[in-house]
Amino acid sequence: MTMPDHELHTLAGPYAMDAVTAAERASFTAHLADCEQCREDVREMREATARLGLAAAVRPRPELREQTIRAAYRTSQLGPFAASEVEPRGEDTVASPAAAARRSRSRRPFPLRLPAASVLAVAAVLVVVAAVLGGMMSSAMEQLHHSQQRDHMIAAVLNAPDAVMLTARISTGGTATVVMSHRERAAVLTAHGLAALPSTEAYEIWLMGPTGQRSAGMLRPQSGGMAGPAIVIGLRTGDVIALTVEPASGSRTPTSVLVVVFRPRH
Amino acid sequence: MTDGGAREDRDGLAAGASSGQPGGRLDDLITAVALGDERAYEVMYDQSASWVLGAALRVLRDPAQAEEVMQEVLLEVWRTASRFDRSQGSGISWLMTIAHRRAVDRVRSERSHASRELRAATATIDYDDVIEAVQASLDRERVQRCLGSLTALQRECVGLAYYSGYTYREVAELLDVPSGTVKTRMRDGLIRLRDCLGVS
Repeated sequence: MTMPDHELHTLAGPYAMDAVTAAERASFTAHLADCEQCREDVREMREATARLGLAAAVRPRPELREQTIRAAYRTSQLGPFAASEVEPRGEDTVASPAAAARRSRSRRPFPLRLPAASVLAVAAVLVVVAAVLGGMMSSAMEQLHHSQQRDHMIAAVLNAPDAVMLTARISTGGTATVVMSHRERAAVLTAHGLAALPSTEAYEIWLMGPTGQRSAGMLRPQSGGMAGPAIVIGLRTGDVIALTVEPASGSRTPTSVLVVVFRPRH
Repeated sequence: MTDGGAREDRDGLAAGASSGQPGGRLDDLITAVALGDERAYEVMYDQSASWVLGAALRVLRDPAQAEEVMQEVLLEVWRTASRFDRSQGSGISWLMTIAHRRAVDRVRSERSHASRELRAATATIDYDDVIEAVQASLDRERVQRCLGSLTALQRECVGLAYYSGYTYREVAELLDVPSGTVKTRMRDGLIRLRDCLGVS
């Protein structure tokens, strides 16, 4: 039995805490698709309920860590690309770029999952990014927009219909993964196991194409040699994404050997 | 290079990945997990397993079941990390929504109608096992303080729903208050909590 809309609205609070029956949950979930205000309400309330959970934190028994992590690695992940696609996950997860490219080529096309509003938002963000890069915004405005831009860009790239994922070993140690979308003209790069560098050096990301090479920012490792996700903006057809080791302040052109190169097939 | 000036801005954008609060960090970890990054998954486990276990334990009150739920949730996170959509909320919210829903689904399937007693809802938790990390105790203190800013009825409604897994109708029965009142108190309570915690 379906509830009238005005009745459904009042379920936002209970829904945000799972204090509804399965049937109510289903109706309200369906209702959310058409009610932007409800989505926003639930989103905000869930930020609060999440903290109720955090406040109850209890340290798990140490032996559970190994069990859980091992179970996860035996489990297939849903690919970042298609909602319905389940990608087998095997030894080739850390594969050569060629193998990864083969996999991505065999992946069938799928519909764009972002709602139209998000696409517009992403377009707007791209305009904002252009404005930021053009130096047209004050630094205060930049600060304000950075985190939102990042979120939208990452989601847009991962969900792009032409997104391609490549994984490769870094010659100096570690593994880098890049998801690139020519449609979004951007890529998202993550790495782990990066070799630690002296403080005078840093990893720099490059876009190298027929028209030359451009720095796409620095990649700063965090704890455990993990880095990213870094957003690479301004991807053009024919571009190769590469990583080099440069002086900590960055270089205008690459000065070291390329420690990893991603060559997308077109 | 012609766009040397722009490089710094791009750099700033990329560097945003590593800066910021723990919440922002979890968002990035989930994205890395979506790309199959095993190291990121391990870091994420170390950061968040205690949150998931704690929330499940509050609802289920049975350590063995709570551990099972924690493992299921962490597995689900591994499997479905690519479904995390930052525009729909923080990583913490995404994770804890999965955790709480699983715990609630399980407690409801376990809980027979006959044994639904208010006693269970008001039982105190055993704080001996509660994590001692500074961050956790700060969180706890802040949440306690903010819960204290709610009206008694709001607090009861939120507590019975979130920590004990009751539906709003069950809460209405337990408190002998009309269900419409419970629904609005839950909403008002959560909004006040959100404002107090500053997590919108």
